[in-house]
Amino acid sequence: MVGLSEGEKHFIRGGIEQDIRTDGRRRLQFRALSVETGVIPQANGSARVRLGGTEIITSVKAELGKPSILHPDKGKVSIFVDCSPTAEPMFEGRGSEELSAELSVALQRCLLGGKSGAGAAIDLSSLIVVEGKVCWDLYIDGLVISSDGNLLDALAAAIKVALSDTGIPKVNVSLSAASDEEPEVDISDEEFLQFDTSSVPVIITLTKVGRHYIIDATSEEESQMSSAVSVSVNRHGQICGLTKRGGAGLDPSVIFDMISVAKHVSQQFISLLDSEIAAAEAEAAE
Amino acid sequence: MSVQAATGTYSPAAAAAGDKRREKREELRRHLAEDADWPRADGRSFHDCRPAFMQTGPTTAASGSAYAEFGKTKVIVSVFGPRESKKAMMYSDVGRLNCNVSYTTFATPVRGQGADNKEYSSMLHKALEGAVMLHTFPKTTVDVFALVLESGGSDLPIIISCASLALADAGIMMYDLVTSVSVSCFRKNIIIDPTSDEEAWQDGSLVVAFMPARKEITQLTLTGEWSDSRITNAVELCMDACSKLSDILRDRLKDTATLTSE
Repeated sequence: MVGLSEGEKHFIRGGIEQDIRTDGRRRLQFRALSVETGVIPQANGSARVRLGGTEIITSVKAELGKPSILHPDKGKVSIFVDCSPTAEPMFEGRGSEELSAELSVALQRCLLGGKSGAGAAIDLSSLIVVEGKVCWDLYIDGLVISSDGNLLDALAAAIKVALSDTGIPKVNVSLSAASDEEPEVDISDEEFLQFDTSSVPVIITLTKVGRHYIIDATSEEESQMSSAVSVSVNRHGQICGLTKRGGAGLDPSVIFDMISVAKHVSQQFISLLDSEIAAAEAEAAE
Repeated sequence: MSVQAATGTYSPAAAAAGDKRREKREELRRHLAEDADWPRADGRSFHDCRPAFMQTGPTTAASGSAYAEFGKTKVIVSVFGPRESKKAMMYSDVGRLNCNVSYTTFATPVRGQGADNKEYSSMLHKALEGAVMLHTFPKTTVDVFALVLESGGSDLPIIISCASLALADAGIMMYDLVTSVSVSCFRKNIIIDPTSDEEAWQDGSLVVAFMPARKEITQLTLTGEWSDSRITNAVELCMDACSKLSDILRDRLKDTATLTSE
């Protein structure tokens, strides 16, 4: 928890009112972003993202599994978030459980689309190997190393980077087996299929402090919020998910306004992230 | 199932019911593939809600309680307190709201499936905390326990509406009653108050928790891919339904008030 004096609180709120925040940013400005890919060799894809004082590591692991009976033509994706006690002492033991669950659910909502699979960031039918028999199970794990606010946006960005780094091994299926037997699969360790991440959305959280709202709030600013709306937007400007946090109610017109601001900001953030990913990949290739 | 029970035979009805359910699901999928308007399984039009049955006071031990039945979805909510916070809790000059949502093991077609909805407790808390005047009961806790007896779709919105009725029944001070309605989207169609079969095939969903008298949204969640104008339409549709549901809640509260005064 952030302990702030009355004077500090007043300073933060006043700064936001005047469009100069305590660290010199404007209301709709992100902190410095740095991106690194391929940080975990054991994983199929991984990324480390820093957004100011917030640091996230995500890994993507692919394992062969069996598709569910309801959706025999689709693979499975699961997303887990863990908040490490290195970030904050209160995350120790069960302390982080509630926050981790909240973040995981919010990410699942934004990335996995509806129950029918429409609007999903990851095309689940591309994960199928043999229909009804074998598919890829994708495990996306996010780890919060250091926490200074805006965890959800940073996690979503890290997942986008990690997915673009992910290579799924090419699988050869021997067709000789009878249709009711388990098909034999041969996993290639040389050929990898790259993932299409163009439709993976980013999440923009607008934190409302006083009458104004800001993006990329630090934990000090978050302690002063009345409510926050996280909007996930993809490259085409479609909204892929929305979550509201914080207690206070919001007027419907404010929410619609926040959505349109988030849409505007997201397009800048996506292009920033794209160039960072390209730079990180070029660096990793060297 | 009820027809089979009436005939008095002893054939295993479970398999037949499963078949019927599968048949219904297939039919819905076929309609979706054709992308045409289809009749909903329970005969409603797209913008019709299920009839709402709500009642206060099903449990006597609680300070306030409410029961809600919307089609197949049956929910019971008890409110305890304000009572002393647990000793381990730190001092707080505003009250605490503790929410817990649980499912009975027989609430879902597959036993124990309700445990998948772990996030409902925190979502219920978020939907209600903006409406409850926490400063009216400092140092104490109000417990809201929701139990889903049968899950038949739109569970969370019904839990939220039922919980706010139970809070009002318990005499907890609130700014306004919170009512909640969800919609599902199927390609170009938006249908309100979906059943579980419809939820299983939806392309996206949107849940709104709304305080009609204050015109404030306390909770809003959305999944799937939506365009701007579609969100606006869906939210407005939900808000309208919420206002109408809130009238029903108010009537129920008035009913109990006249009963006790007599």
